[in-house]
Amino acid sequence: MKIRKAIITAAGQSQRSLPLQRLVDRDGNSKTALQIILEEAGTAGCEEICLVVCPGDEDSFRTAAGPRAAQLQFVTQPEPRGYGHALHCARAFAGDEPFLHLVSDHLYVSTGPQRCAQQLVAVASAENCAVSAVHATRETMLPYYGTVGGRRVPQRPNLYEITTVAEKPTPTEAEQTLIVPGLRAGHYLCFFGMHILTPALLGILADEVAQPANRNIQLSPALAKLADRERYLAHEVAGQRYNIGVKYGLLTAQLALALAGNDRAEVLTQLVELVATQPKP
Amino acid sequence: MSQLVSIITATDPARRNQSLDAYCRQADFSALLIECAALDAFRRQSDNLYERVRALFFLYAIYRFHLPAKLPATSATLIPFAGYSRLLNRRFEEALDEFLALPVSDGIASALATAYHQLAFQTLANQVRRSVRSVRGNQWMFRIGHPADQPLRIRPELLHPGTDQTYPILRELTPVRMDLSHSGWSDIFFLGMDYPEGARVLNISIDLAVHGRDTAPRPPVEAYLRVITEPVLRLTSVDLGQTVDIRQLDEVFDFARDYLGLLKAAIIAAGIVPPGVEGSGESLAELLARTVGPGFGLEIVSSVNNIPKGSRLAVSTNLLAALIAVCMRATGQARHLTGTLSEDERRLVAARAILGEWLGGSGGGWQDSGGVWPGAKLIQGVPAQPGDPEAGISRGRLLPNHTALPIGARLQDSLVLVHGGMAQNVGPILEMVTEKYLLRSESEWLARQDAKLILDDIIAALAAGDVPRIAAATTRNFFGPLQAIIPWATNLYTETIIARVKKQFGTDFWGFWMLGGMSGGGMGFIFAPEKKAAGQTALAAIMAQTKLELQSALPFAMEPVVYDFAINEHGTRAELLTGDAALLPASYYALLVPRLLKTELTTPQRAELQKFGAACRTQPELAGMVHTLFDRLFPRPASTAGKSSLHDLLNELGFDRVAHEQIRADLKNGRIGLAQNRLAATTLIEDVRDSDVTPVTDQHRQLGLAAIRAGEAAVVSLAAGVGSRWTQGAGVVKALHPFCKLGGRHRSFLEVHHAKARRISPDLPHIVTTSYLTHRQIEAAGLPVILSPGRAVGLRLIPTVRDLRFLWEETAHQMLDEQKQKVRDSLHTALISWAQSAGEASDYTDNLPEQCLHPVGHWYEIANLLRNGVLAQRPQLRWLMLHNIDTTGADLDPALLGQHIQSGATLSFEVITRRLEDRGGGLARINGRPRLVEGLALPREEDEFALRYYNTMTTWISVDKLLAVFGLTRADLTDAAKVAAATRALAAKMPTYITLKDVKKRWGHGQEDVFPVAQFEKLWSDMTALPEVDCRFIVVPRRRGQQLKDIAQLDGWLRDGSAAYVESLCDWPA
Repeated sequence: MKIRKAIITAAGQSQRSLPLQRLVDRDGNSKTALQIILEEAGTAGCEEICLVVCPGDEDSFRTAAGPRAAQLQFVTQPEPRGYGHALHCARAFAGDEPFLHLVSDHLYVSTGPQRCAQQLVAVASAENCAVSAVHATRETMLPYYGTVGGRRVPQRPNLYEITTVAEKPTPTEAEQTLIVPGLRAGHYLCFFGMHILTPALLGILADEVAQPANRNIQLSPALAKLADRERYLAHEVAGQRYNIGVKYGLLTAQLALALAGNDRAEVLTQLVELVATQPKP
Repeated sequence: MSQLVSIITATDPARRNQSLDAYCRQADFSALLIECAALDAFRRQSDNLYERVRALFFLYAIYRFHLPAKLPATSATLIPFAGYSRLLNRRFEEALDEFLALPVSDGIASALATAYHQLAFQTLANQVRRSVRSVRGNQWMFRIGHPADQPLRIRPELLHPGTDQTYPILRELTPVRMDLSHSGWSDIFFLGMDYPEGARVLNISIDLAVHGRDTAPRPPVEAYLRVITEPVLRLTSVDLGQTVDIRQLDEVFDFARDYLGLLKAAIIAAGIVPPGVEGSGESLAELLARTVGPGFGLEIVSSVNNIPKGSRLAVSTNLLAALIAVCMRATGQARHLTGTLSEDERRLVAARAILGEWLGGSGGGWQDSGGVWPGAKLIQGVPAQPGDPEAGISRGRLLPNHTALPIGARLQDSLVLVHGGMAQNVGPILEMVTEKYLLRSESEWLARQDAKLILDDIIAALAAGDVPRIAAATTRNFFGPLQAIIPWATNLYTETIIARVKKQFGTDFWGFWMLGGMSGGGMGFIFAPEKKAAGQTALAAIMAQTKLELQSALPFAMEPVVYDFAINEHGTRAELLTGDAALLPASYYALLVPRLLKTELTTPQRAELQKFGAACRTQPELAGMVHTLFDRLFPRPASTAGKSSLHDLLNELGFDRVAHEQIRADLKNGRIGLAQNRLAATTLIEDVRDSDVTPVTDQHRQLGLAAIRAGEAAVVSLAAGVGSRWTQGAGVVKALHPFCKLGGRHRSFLEVHHAKARRISPDLPHIVTTSYLTHRQIEAAGLPVILSPGRAVGLRLIPTVRDLRFLWEETAHQMLDEQKQKVRDSLHTALISWAQSAGEASDYTDNLPEQCLHPVGHWYEIANLLRNGVLAQRPQLRWLMLHNIDTTGADLDPALLGQHIQSGATLSFEVITRRLEDRGGGLARINGRPRLVEGLALPREEDEFALRYYNTMTTWISVDKLLAVFGLTRADLTDAAKVAAATRALAAKMPTYITLKDVKKRWGHGQEDVFPVAQFEKLWSDMTALPEVDCRFIVVPRRRGQQLKDIAQLDGWLRDGSAAYVESLCDWPA
């Protein structure tokens, strides 16, 4: 399986301005969040990138994309009908090829030599099937993530066969249906905001969209159906995800980038100084 | 290999199900000892829970029932206090080691039996607790220790107020369940987990109405939830009339602080306040902010539409389930906010209800939340599979499976459901059943197999629509296996009603149906359909009449009730009330409006009350609300009827107000009290010497017989008491309590004593001492006995905090299982607050008059014989045999009478060798003089364990010598003033003890509260302390001297041959 395309969704109400924020990346360069995300896709081998945006947002995103703007194609989501619908809007772009899907409100910091998306693409290429990046997450964070249930693929570290997917499950549901053997107690495999998906997924979404009663199309139920139809894996990537849309999310992401990059010593020094000079509350 | 160990470990069911009794009958003493050693070694090394538990029950039964009878004749031995103390602290293994290190005697065998019994139940309870916590879906709640960890979020539908700013209300409507058969209590967790194949229950979800009060049956259980704009948990039980705002996390876990323990348990079991945050010191407001939003809280309201407690329809478990379901729906733990639940959701609600019951320190069977499911269902135990938390530990899973069953029968047309008015604790029965099953006792095991066949018959009859066959089967079940397993499942009240219904309806009465764990509360009577209406009317009358006849003898909590019912085909379901429909139950407003009007109303509160006002104007069912509210706002002056009748009663009974005020002053000042009951710490307390006691001898039988023939001897039964321990303060006349079937029918204690007197001689005088609490009732019972009415009465007092603390904190108590102990501690705190707010040492008047008074101790009952003319009128009486009402084995044995006459003593007291359960003093040398000493007078708890003999209270009295002690002669008995003065003078020498007794206060619909109240007593056994009284002490066999103080003793009493012994002493009147 070769992955040449990437789809990035940025049409959510809370996502419209987040990718436009500026940060300093690991190399010490000032960039927008969108640029960092596009680099993630680019280094993973994606030649064509599609951004799903709200109508009217193309220009600001194009500007924020910097040097990679030329690679971009824009698709608009005409009305807010959910995450799954946003992805469905890019169906024509994907055609019949598998694609890398990223969300625009997350930044990733790898803990290994390969970037997170690179790791995921490598697994999908080897396994020749859909793969979602996941992260073992404490149950207290379940209200924020889609979560998968499944079992380990024998003899393959960090790889899981997905049997079910639930969107923001309660811990009760998680404990009953989403326990994955081998994880720490109270931990579940939650989405990382990064997937390699197959055209079959877009077909499932198209079926959902075609039903007039369905106003709000979510991605997790479609992924649950995908798991029923074809082999669908989860890969625990070596890295961290940072949701820049939550309180202090941007700050945390910036610190993570800085501490993992060239300016680590300088930032650490400033942090220590800050702590040392902070008057007691 | 040990034979008993091989029975336990056998894979062949025929061998595994062999009974212990069969083996023990033929084994001699030394063989039993060898088996005990093997069983103890086996249970210590076995990894299998049920093998361990069965070995523990085997050991218990051998030491309790089989070994004592085969003990070689040995003198009494002491039970080590250190072992007893470890038992109290639930350190069973250490206690066992203490006891096992000593040679086996009767006393040590009783201590070992108790220790093994308690360890067996503790082991089982630990397993249920582990299973409840490890059910998937429950585990996470125990890991949450901080508000930031709380992963639950309220559903958005509940977060948006309407245009009038009031929030939507989620309402859960849940039926209750009635069980057609529980296959002989097979739904007890332990049994389902031991023998899942045999754990089968058929139960049906029903809607309910009180016949004649409500218009039509409806789901009786309702739970409401809504968001409120204060960071509190506002809990209301409209049936119990209580509402509480909880602001601190610790209050949520304080179950006995108020009447809202069930609501709190539901909130915890639903994960809104996860059990893991208990004791974390975190903020409830922060926890609620996480789930509902900053500054917001939740209001939860429960209602069971005044269905009385003790209905045997599992109202409280289904209410717990309804509350859990509504909380789970509100936090997204069920797929749908409204409508019915899916099967997996129902199972989770049932698992959470079990968790909630465990948290609240109670525990029902696993079928009790059956109302969550629709219609009729077969509930069956499931063998544990690999992957289950129970696998490899117990044979069955904690949670059963539910299978829907067709109902072809028109049960509604024939069945009359009633509540008989009795509300008894079913707990002891469940323990008895568990023990008997695990022992595979022969007749009970056969009965269990029979009960399984009856269940099959009922299932077939239900599907075939054959109601008469159902009736025949449920009747057979009640009179057959259920009573074979537990004779105490029935009682005189139930059997009288059945007989009267049968007499009135003949063949149109098709059968009887016991609901739940025992009869007397919820029951079913099946009639020919055309007679159902007449049956309902007749049952109301029959139950009312029978209750009237028996209410002195049996504990009733309320007036009997007849129900209407309908089968519920939905199970639990919920609806979202919005707009004008967003109202809580009418009684909620009746409870809250008076309180709200005293505060400044917020806009949403005003809007809600306006909505409620509009509903009252338009909805017929709310027609009476204006009157109700008006009455609540301006309550009529409290009736003084109760107080004046107490006042009248005190005057009538010659209450000594001056003495009472002295006692109150002394109590307040700390001159008397529980601590002051004790002898000085410097008192020398030793066990008696062998020469201080006399064995029973038959040498003087002829002397005794001659006295009986001459009409010189009489039996005196002490019957002034109300059996506080027997019914936990329910206030029944213990003498009249029909405690057991003997000679073919239920017999009261008094009937038993009278039958024993008849056997000695049909003309033997039988004197019964009474008190104001028992005289009228015993007189009405019409036995040919001589009544000796009481002449003294006391008024109970609110206890002092000092005494409560002394009782609970400074005297040794049996620790309870973890969660139950927490609930008890919480209750103690609440009761201390009650004593402080009600006024320490003030008169206890907040109850029925007869519950506020107390008899003043049995010393006065003997003195009364002198004062009330009973002795004066019978100058021929020279010898009396005095005994407690519950000493069932005591009779006027001519040999013992002869022995007493021959001794020349004033008083001869019968003592027995001590077993572990014989608490409360004994025979001791106090400062060198042998005398009886009460447990409450001993300076140290361990003193009692140095005494080999226990006081039975049975006393042989030489009348003339006793009169001399009073300073009287026969001739003086007609001089009332002289007798009164003599009595007062001797009474002054007797110590006055302060005791705390439990008293029940009944209220609402079958609700009962138990309060500890203070009273004073003078006790007969202190006569032995008087140097001028010549006392002897005769060691009698246990079965003659043992007493029945607690209902839980009954089964052992029946099984160890004591009942048969008593029956052999009786000559029943024709």
